[in-house]
Amino acid sequence: MINFLIVVFIISLIYISKVEMVKSYFSLMGLQGVLLFGLAYFELKGGGIIQLLFILVETLVFKALFVPLFLRRITKNKIHRHHGTPIKGYYSVLIATFIIVISFLIGYFLHDELKTEADLQVKYFTAAIASIFIGLFIAINNRDLVTHLISYLVIENGIFLLSLALGSDMPMFVNSAILLDIFTSVLVMGVFFNRVKDYFQNMDSTLLSQLKD
Amino acid sequence: MIVYLFFVATALLSGTSYFIRNRNLSHGLVFAHIALLLGLAVYLLPNLGQQLDDFFFCDQLGVMFYIILIIVSLVSAIHYITFVIDRDVRPAVQALHNAGTIFFTGAIVGVLLTSHFGVLWAFMEATTLGASVLIYHNRTSESLEATWKYLFICSIGIALAFAGVLFLGLAGQQVKNVDFTFATIKSLSGQLNPLWLKACFLLVVTGFSAKMGLIPLFNVDIDAKDVSPSQVGASLSSVLMNAGFVAIYRFYEAFSTTAILHWMNNLLMITGLVSLLFAAAYMLKVRNVKRLFAYSSMEHASLVMIAFSCGGLGYFAAILHLIMHSLVKSSLFFQVSQMHRIYNSKLDENIGSYLRVNPLGGLVMLLGFLSIIAMPPSGMLISELLMFQTLIANNYWWIALIVLLLVLIVIYGLAVRMLGIVFLKKDTANINLNGSTNFESAMQLGLILLVFYIGLFRPEIIVNSINLAIKSLPA
Repeated sequence: MINFLIVVFIISLIYISKVEMVKSYFSLMGLQGVLLFGLAYFELKGGGIIQLLFILVETLVFKALFVPLFLRRITKNKIHRHHGTPIKGYYSVLIATFIIVISFLIGYFLHDELKTEADLQVKYFTAAIASIFIGLFIAINNRDLVTHLISYLVIENGIFLLSLALGSDMPMFVNSAILLDIFTSVLVMGVFFNRVKDYFQNMDSTLLSQLKD
Repeated sequence: MIVYLFFVATALLSGTSYFIRNRNLSHGLVFAHIALLLGLAVYLLPNLGQQLDDFFFCDQLGVMFYIILIIVSLVSAIHYITFVIDRDVRPAVQALHNAGTIFFTGAIVGVLLTSHFGVLWAFMEATTLGASVLIYHNRTSESLEATWKYLFICSIGIALAFAGVLFLGLAGQQVKNVDFTFATIKSLSGQLNPLWLKACFLLVVTGFSAKMGLIPLFNVDIDAKDVSPSQVGASLSSVLMNAGFVAIYRFYEAFSTTAILHWMNNLLMITGLVSLLFAAAYMLKVRNVKRLFAYSSMEHASLVMIAFSCGGLGYFAAILHLIMHSLVKSSLFFQVSQMHRIYNSKLDENIGSYLRVNPLGGLVMLLGFLSIIAMPPSGMLISELLMFQTLIANNYWWIALIVLLLVLIVIYGLAVRMLGIVFLKKDTANINLNGSTNFESAMQLGLILLVFYIGLFRPEIIVNSINLAIKSLPA
């Protein structure tokens, strides 16, 4: 089951890298939230009930419901298609696939190198590294601000998976930190996102280029 | 317990400040928070070297930068009073700014005093949020742009730093009872896998580079210092930079007894050198005085990293340099605020005859310039000399030569702009001659004279404090 969830998560990463309709991002973020819950549940079900409840709130309530709804609300469904990207859809898929392959190679290399010293969970590690790098790729490849917010969330999802690679010894503070990070950053970014939208009447980040030397 | 009470009081003051629309009361809350900082200092000083509770301790390094924080916060709060009157800042904006200031200062205190990597990370995250509020102060399109970029890039940086903390957890997986306190990690670091420690350190340096103003995330820091009020630029250039250094230092110290010490030194050296190269290149072309000072901060952060990477005497030089830089650079930013009031411009081509227009302010600029380029009797001369001495002692001749060349370029860039501002004759018909008070300049002068005093007399208390702070690092 874990393998299935990870494969779906990785497919969702490929899809996110080529999305053109902004509203698709919201459902994909919701899907990733549900997948992360599934992964965390199967990984940590031997742990305490409080930890499981915390994960439930963090993934299902926050990642799968609150964040997509909040993003939908701040964009008010006015933005349908994000602005042109330097690298078009088909090539984005190729690059995302390339990143995933490289992540697999890194994961297996590290596992083989360290298997006597650290019990690296390759499957989580691979998906985590892929998610972080694809998030960075989305941030670089897109010019509108809502996509920048999405890229940040993709990176955060990668970091959540990285915390799963730590196994069930994962301290509570790791979860709390991720929740705090997303909660504060998304809220504050959401506020400034609204300001930018009101000020420039546009979501193209190239408008934010007045500051020069 | 006292530290927790401090954070509760900080949260209360910050929250209250947000709702206070009375100008005097709003300023009063900031000063009340500074009084709180002083109160905490009274508690900390007798407890030097002690673990205060599970998550906080009182070490020499943290306390030194804590005292700098109090000094800069006090001068900054005084300057903001004038700023509010001069710019006719709306009460709501002032309230948010003061709430942000208290929150930001509290977060910096957390970074300086915590003894836990997870808590350190959380407070660094909090500094991003606090700083964003401060940068947005002027409500212009530029401040909006700078705030968005700062928030977005710093959030990614902080996320990467968190990944670094997770790698630390991964490294500690095979060791029993490992937690994320500095002491535990340091005591167990010999048993931790060096590959994960390297990954952790790389991500931490990358993530916190925006705070220290180093590559790769330095540009958001430059924009932030440019568009925010000068007193905010002063805080970002001093206390936030110090906090960034302390964060990197904590990881470095914990891993310093492992086999990756040399690798960490190389990473810091490369980071410092490339940052210095960027700073020197930009300082030749920049026309905006605030950006000039922001790049100058980047240059000094680079020098700190280069000195620190040399080890030995370089550790001492790095920390001494940071202390001096905090005092001088904040003074220069404070003075820019007054200069802007007179000339209504930040561009060097519109500013001139400053020594004639405002003699005390001009003197501050001149002495600040001499200090920042490490001319005697500036204390920065000592730290820079020590840095070169360490480079040469380590047989890094070619690096010393490159650094010397880049520093000369920086001095040239600064001299052309700053001496022009102070001495060059400009048409002064349209300037606001009432835009400055000697009291404000006197505060900056006091800070710069303090740096001269340190340079001339090398007070034992500072030398001993730095030596105590670095005693746990390898010789």
